[in-house]
Parts: sequence; structure tokens; C-alpha cells
Amino acid sequence: MNNKLVSLLSAGALALGASLGTARAAETVKVGVLHSLSGTMAISETSLRDILLFTFDEINAKGGVLGKKIEPVVVDGASNWPLFAEKAKQLLEQDKVAVTFGCWTSVSRKSVLPVFEKNNGLLFYPVQYEGEEESQNVAYTAEAVNQQATPAVDYYLAEGKKKFYLLGSDYVYPQTTNLVLLEYLLSKGVKLENIGGGFRKDGSGKIISAGKYTPFGHTDYQQIVAEIKQFAASGDACVISTLNGDTNVPFFKEYAASGLTAETCPVVSFSISEDEFRGLPAKQLVGQLGCWTYFQSIDTPANKKFVADFQAWLKKSNVPGLVKEGRVTCSPMVLSYVGVYLWKAAVEKAGSFDVDKVRAAYKSGISFDGPGGKVTTQKNMHVTKNVYIGETKADGQFKIVKSFNNVYGEPWLKGKFK
Amino acid sequence: MLAAASALLVSAVRAAPAPSARQTIAEAALAEDAAKKRELIGRLLGQGDPAIAPLLEAWRTDALFVLTAPDGTKIPVQLTGEKDAAGTQSALRVDTGAPLADAAGQPRRLAAADLAAVEHTSSLRRAMKAVLDLADLAAPDPAVRTKAILTIGLAQDAEKLPALVARLGVETDPGVKRALRESIAIARLKDADDAVKLTALVELKELTSLASTDFISRALKEAETAEKPVLVKAAKDALRAVEGHRSFVDFFGTLFRGVSLGSILLIAALGLAITFGLMRVINMAHGEMIAVGAYTTYLVQNIFGAGLTIPFFGFSLPIFGLNLTGAAYQWYFVAALPLSFLAAALVGIGLERSVIRFLYRRPLESLLATWGVSLVMQQGLRLMFGANNVQVSSPVYLSGNWTVNDIIFGWNRVFVVGFAILIVFGMWLVLSKTPLGLLIRASMQNRAMASCMGVRTERVNMLTFGLGSGLAGLAGAFLSQIGNVGPSLGQGYIIDSFMVVVVGGVGSIGGTIISAFGIGGIDQVLQQYLPTIAPGLTWVPGIGSFLQNLAQDAAVFGKILVLAGIILFLQWRPAGLFVTRSRNLED
Repeated sequence: MNNKLVSLLSAGALALGASLGTARAAETVKVGVLHSLSGTMAISETSLRDILLFTFDEINAKGGVLGKKIEPVVVDGASNWPLFAEKAKQLLEQDKVAVTFGCWTSVSRKSVLPVFEKNNGLLFYPVQYEGEEESQNVAYTAEAVNQQATPAVDYYLAEGKKKFYLLGSDYVYPQTTNLVLLEYLLSKGVKLENIGGGFRKDGSGKIISAGKYTPFGHTDYQQIVAEIKQFAASGDACVISTLNGDTNVPFFKEYAASGLTAETCPVVSFSISEDEFRGLPAKQLVGQLGCWTYFQSIDTPANKKFVADFQAWLKKSNVPGLVKEGRVTCSPMVLSYVGVYLWKAAVEKAGSFDVDKVRAAYKSGISFDGPGGKVTTQKNMHVTKNVYIGETKADGQFKIVKSFNNVYGEPWLKGKFK
Repeated sequence: MLAAASALLVSAVRAAPAPSARQTIAEAALAEDAAKKRELIGRLLGQGDPAIAPLLEAWRTDALFVLTAPDGTKIPVQLTGEKDAAGTQSALRVDTGAPLADAAGQPRRLAAADLAAVEHTSSLRRAMKAVLDLADLAAPDPAVRTKAILTIGLAQDAEKLPALVARLGVETDPGVKRALRESIAIARLKDADDAVKLTALVELKELTSLASTDFISRALKEAETAEKPVLVKAAKDALRAVEGHRSFVDFFGTLFRGVSLGSILLIAALGLAITFGLMRVINMAHGEMIAVGAYTTYLVQNIFGAGLTIPFFGFSLPIFGLNLTGAAYQWYFVAALPLSFLAAALVGIGLERSVIRFLYRRPLESLLATWGVSLVMQQGLRLMFGANNVQVSSPVYLSGNWTVNDIIFGWNRVFVVGFAILIVFGMWLVLSKTPLGLLIRASMQNRAMASCMGVRTERVNMLTFGLGSGLAGLAGAFLSQIGNVGPSLGQGYIIDSFMVVVVGGVGSIGGTIISAFGIGGIDQVLQQYLPTIAPGLTWVPGIGSFLQNLAQDAAVFGKILVLAGIILFLQWRPAGLFVTRSRNLED
């Protein structure tokens, strides 16, 4: 028996010596990163790739997951939704990754969903979304509508606002969110005539869409701002904006020029985080509100260390094409970071990389103290986390004015508020 | 005697411990609950304590802090005076106004960085504003007075009504007077006495105050439930008058917005009217000329400011800034105008010399070649300035507005309209009153003939293309004040520009002007009135409700209608509004 062991060991040593590559492969676990690194979404999604690589390095430096180093497989979705599905297939079937972190837009998530369900993969999704979805193959670290939109409304109601103007870009997230918000506002006793932006009804007169929508790349906000100005003339009005991307610039320029300010009629935007301010004139938005589950300005030692570590990593990293200057941290980045640690904790709890076992561990309720405070996984694949409301400052950071602790992530909100 | 009286007063205060304004503010600063804070601040209303205004101002500007003593007690302090080398300032106790003393009785100095600033939310700031507003009622600036008056009026605060009425007696500024009457009337709508309500409604009807709509509707409902026909009638009359005024405002507002959108289209298309209209070069890189102008504005802004470093194809190209501040910095935009013209004109001339001059007789090739150039230029901009949009701030003289009779005239918009008129006038001068203009017109009408007459047509072509590109650069400088500046800025305007030139009639500058204002006006009119006429569309069989919903998205639907209209128009008049007849045999 002893002999057998010795021969086994020496055979192992031989194999190790013969092929160092295979031996190293056995010590790593492949992890997919699926973001757009080119195309329109690259500006936002590249930041998520950067933070993921930073997180992997941080974990690897401390010994990896279950003793194995994380080996990232980075693929480019190129802002092309069908390509996302193909890349997901490649990650799952060729590279056989244990887990994938990725997607930003809802349409890219919907595009890869069947691939993950067919191959029983696991996707961690980190960006605020419209809900109405609960796949067993997606871990939603993202903000659900009740972790961003409804807390913002609560804040406004507490501030004594009575009139709400809904404005958004024309796609699935704003449309769904505004419909949920309409129900929520009505349930809070706000009258229908005090909700601005217009309604679309079906043949039977039921409201199927609420709010004012503009296409991507819209530049002429004169008419809409004039309408808001009249809407807000009687005071106690506010705007809830799901405008996406650079349409915010002409909107806020027009908004400021018409004499509307955060004190007369504040705007809360759900799509502007610190990262977006790299391309937005923050000065025009001073005092306007943002609502996220993380702000870079959170004043805790954990967050300060996280921000400093990320900056230090940026300085020494040699990832090609990495932007090193003027980098900030924002909610989708932190939710990506938290996602990796939650996955690590689930793997360690399950003692295996097997998706079914990891999912069972994930669903059992795992906590992680992240930069934005404690997050806890839930049975419905979403996470409980803190929600913060912040006022924009001239330097593109937020001053936190209100926080809600441990908000349960609830994806199914349609028809919930009566 | 006086001393005795004051001593008496002090003892009286001690006997009845009504907190001083300072104490109230200190208590509010320490209160945990936002509602409690608001309530405490509200108590300051009408108190004439001169300490209130500076303290609240300090609070609003994050100069109020809470010091936690070693024993756990919390003391609100205000930091004032110059910072010394260690960043400390002298500290005053909020509750007494006396310097904060340490155990030895010496005044302590504290650093802002070590303390927690007292928080303030927008509702709290509003409460503070209400307190300051009463003080602001006598502010020297009429705009400040008006704002303060309206804040009080819209809150329908009966307690502060006497202050407004008193102010009305002494106010001389007509605008402020109007705001006072408006606020008083709105506040009086809450009065218990029907006669007071009635006069308030009559007053609002006379003032046609847009801000009062909600308040009148509320009063109307109350009157209806209380069955008071006189009040119902007065409220309905007032509402009708206000609505009438609103449609007046909407009409002229739409008109102005149409003119301003038209001006933007015109400025963007004017350069193309020369390169495409006069020279017949289908220049797909026109949008990138606009982007060059916008980026030049960005560069000039940075040169006036702190400077920047451009990663120039692998090298870092540092550009030094003048570090100007204040008024001098604000003039960057004026300096940027001629520079963006020059920069785009130079790029245009380069493009003409290197590509376009070989393609004058081959329009299809020039289309493809310039499209390629546009892609190259976009990528070049991306390499130099990054894929992100860059920030161009609006100078102060472009970021306010005039409000005349409730119609808003944004300064940036007024400026664009004025400037469009100026450029058109300037171009007319150049084309019809200068020797260069004569040569341009001659060469464009018949290149071969002009050449035979001794005109150096090559040179004229180059200068004309430079002029057209320069105008596009000017457009870029303006568009930077209204929208985004990014590498693909030009893509958003190229289609609109071609649309304007084609509808106006290729080769006709006058047609371009009329078509720009026509398209801008129709677009804004549709945006304004589609949602109002939408409910009337339900009669259309089958697609009635679909049309109605579509009309709600007026920004999109309006644009679709404009495009459809243009297609139909071009079926009817393929050459556009104004057909130019040239002496060129090829046409």
C-alpha cells in the first residue's frame, strides 16, 4: 500500500514536471466576463470589465476560490444583442466556465437567457433593471424597481411633493418602471391628474403606458421642458427621469435655461451614476437627485479601502486599453464586485463549483459586507441591500441625503400596489 | 433706566424660557428626525433675530458642524474666519454665538475635515428658504423679491399674508407688484370668508396667473361640494381666463421654439447649402466639420481654463491653459467662434485639396469618398479625445432666460436665433457684395466658362469649400451649447442638413432659409398640438386608439409626420421649394 502511494506520488510529480501547463490548469477555475467592449454600450460596460478583473486579482492574491485561482475568459458582446447569445454559448459550451458575470442592457440579458437556461449556466447581472423576471440561471445583484424607483418616490412624498412628472427613454426599462411607479403613486393617494407626461390606453381604456418618452439620441427638449415648467408652476412638483445616456445633456441644459432648479422642481434620475458624470456636465445637475444602492461618497472604512484599492490596481495594471485617469466607482461596478464575492461565498459554502449546488447555497441566504453595506442573497435570486438617495455635487459625486437599510429585492411588482 | 429695563427683560426671558433663535437652530441641528428639524426651523418664521440669516446660510453651505465632546454631548458649532496652515478655523457655538472654549477657557480652533457637517435635505432647505424669504421680501434685487413672494404665496400660508399685504403698499417694481398680487390672491383662496375668496378669484382672473390653475381647480371643487353657485361661476371664469392665457403662452412659446429649432437647422445646413447646394459635392463629411467646430470650442474652453493633455496617436500632447477665472473665462465662447470657423475651414480646405478636387465630375464617387473621410475623422476624434462625450460648459451669459408674459426665451436660444440672422446676412454680403462672391457665383454657374474668362477656378473651389466647412464649424460651436459634444456628434445633424437643403431647393440659399424655419416650425407645432388633438383621433376605424397613443409620443410621431410630409412634398416638387436654373449645359 505504501509502495502504491509512493508510485502514485512520483507519477504525479512526473506529470507535474512533464506538463506544467496542465497542472496549472487544474489549479484554476474559468470564469466568464461578458460585456460590450466596443459599440455604444462600451463606455459603461468597460468599467464593469475593469472592476471584475480587479476583483479577480484581489481574490487570487488571497488564495482564490476553494484553493483555485480565477482565470477570467473575457469576451466582447460588442453592443450587439444576438452576438451576446453567441458569446454566451461559446463561454458555456467551449470554455465551460463555472460562472459568468455580465450584461448591462435588459435586451442583452433577455438575449442570453435561453442560452443559460439550456446549458444550466449561472449569470450574475449587476445593473438596475425593470423586474418581472426570475430565472433560476441568473443571480440578480442588480437593483430591482423597489430598490431604486419606489424609495425615490417615498423620499419625494416625505419631502411633500404632490405632482410627479414621468420622463424616460423609449425602451423596456423606463416603460415598465413607469408603469410600476404609476401604480405605486396611485396607491399612495396621488391623483391621476397630478401625474404628468401623458398616458396611453388600450381599447378598453386601461392605461398601458405612462409618461413622456423620447428616442435615444433625442436633442430637442424645448417642448417637454416648457410642459414641465407649466406642470411645476403651482409648486410641489418633481420629475422622475429614466432618460438614458447622453440625452440627459440637452435635457438638463434646457432645464437649467428655462429657470427650473432643484429647489423649485427636483429631478431624480435612475440612469446617472458617478461613472456617467465622466461625460456629463455635472454643474448643470447640481442639487438634482440620484438613487442607487451605492455611492462613491459613502463614508465607511470598507468603501474608502475599496476605492483606494481600485485606484491602486488601476495604476499598476497593464490590461490593454485600460483608462487610468479620472476613474470613479459607481453602483453597477460595486454590484459586479459584490456579485463575485457572493459567488465565491456560495461556492465555498457548497464546497463545489457545480451550478446546482452553488445555486442552492446562494439561495440559502449568504451575506457579504460590501462597499455599499451588507448585502444578503434571497430565495428569489435577488439580493437584499441598502438604498441611498444622493444629491449631485459640482464634482460629479453625490451627497447622501437619505438611506433605506436592508431593502428586500422584489422583482414582481406589477399589480402589487392597489 | 435703560439698563434696568434690559435687566428686567433678561429676567423675564429667564422666567419664561422661550428659546432664542440661536437655541432653536442649535436644537434643529441636533434633531435626528427630518420632520422635527423642519418644524423647528419653521418656528423661526417672522422672528426678527439678525443671527438667523447668517446661521441658516452657513447651514446651507455646509459651514455648520456638530462637535462630539469626549463625554458624548454634541455641540453644534459654526466655523468662521480664515483657515490656518492646519486647516483649522475659529469655532462659534451655535446656541450662544460665543467662541467655543476648551477646559482652560481658551477659544478652540477646529478643522472642518474632522467634523461632521450638519445635513440638509431639499425640503429642509425649503423650510430655511421660507424663513429667509420673509427677510428677502425687502431684498434689493427684484428677482429675489419675486421668488420669495411666490414661495410664500404658493404655500398658501395665511400667517405670512399680512407681510405680503404690507409689502404691496410699498412695492414700486411692476413685476414684483404683480407677483405680490398673485401670491396674495392665491393665499386668500384658502380664506374662510366667501367674499374674500370671490375677490381673490376675480383678481386671479384679471392676472391670468398660470401658477394658480391648481389652486383655482381646488377652490372650484370645494365650491361645488359646498354648493355656492357664485363662487363656482367665479372660479370657472377665472379658470377659463387662465386657460386662455395658457393657450396664448403655448402659441407664442411654440412659435419661438419653432424659430429656434429652425435656426439650429439653418446654421447646421448653411454650410451644406454651399458645398452641396452651390458646388454640388455630396459631402457626407459635413457632420464631421460640425464636430470639428464643437471640439475646437472644447479646446478653447480648456485653454482658457486649466489646459489638458491630448493622447495624440500614441504621444501625449500637452496643451497649456491660461487658468483664467470669472468674467475673463466666460469670454472663451466668443474667442471660440472665429477659431471654430477657422479650424473647420482649414480641415475643409485640406479635404478639398486631397480628395474632392479629383471628384468634381463624379458625384457618386465623391459621396463614397467623403463618407469614408467621415468615418476616418470620427475615429480620429475618438483617438484624440476619447470615446466619451466631453463637457462644454455654458458661459453665464448664455445660461439664463427672459420670461416675458410667461413665455420663456432661453438666452442660448435667443443667441442662436440672433446669430443665425447674422450669419445669413454675412453670407449674403460675401456672396453678393464682394469680388470673391462674384467669382464664386461665376464658377459655380459654369466652371468651364469662368475658367476661360481667367478665373482661377481651382482656387475659388478651394475657398468656397473652405467657406462652407467653416460655416459648419460655426454650427458646431453653437451646438456645443445645446447638446452633446462627442465623436459622433455630426451623425445626428447630417440627415437634417441634407433634408433642409433638398427641401429648400439645391443651390438656393433663400430656399434653405425658408425650409429650415418651415421644418422647425412644423415640428414644434406638431409636438405641441398633437397630444391635444389626439383624443379626437379615436374615430379612425381600426387604428384609432393606436393613432391616439402614437400622438402621445409627439416628439417621435411629429418627426415621422415631418419626414412623411417631406417625402410627399418631394414627389410633388422634386427640385424643392426654389428651383435654380443655371446656365450650365450639364444640368
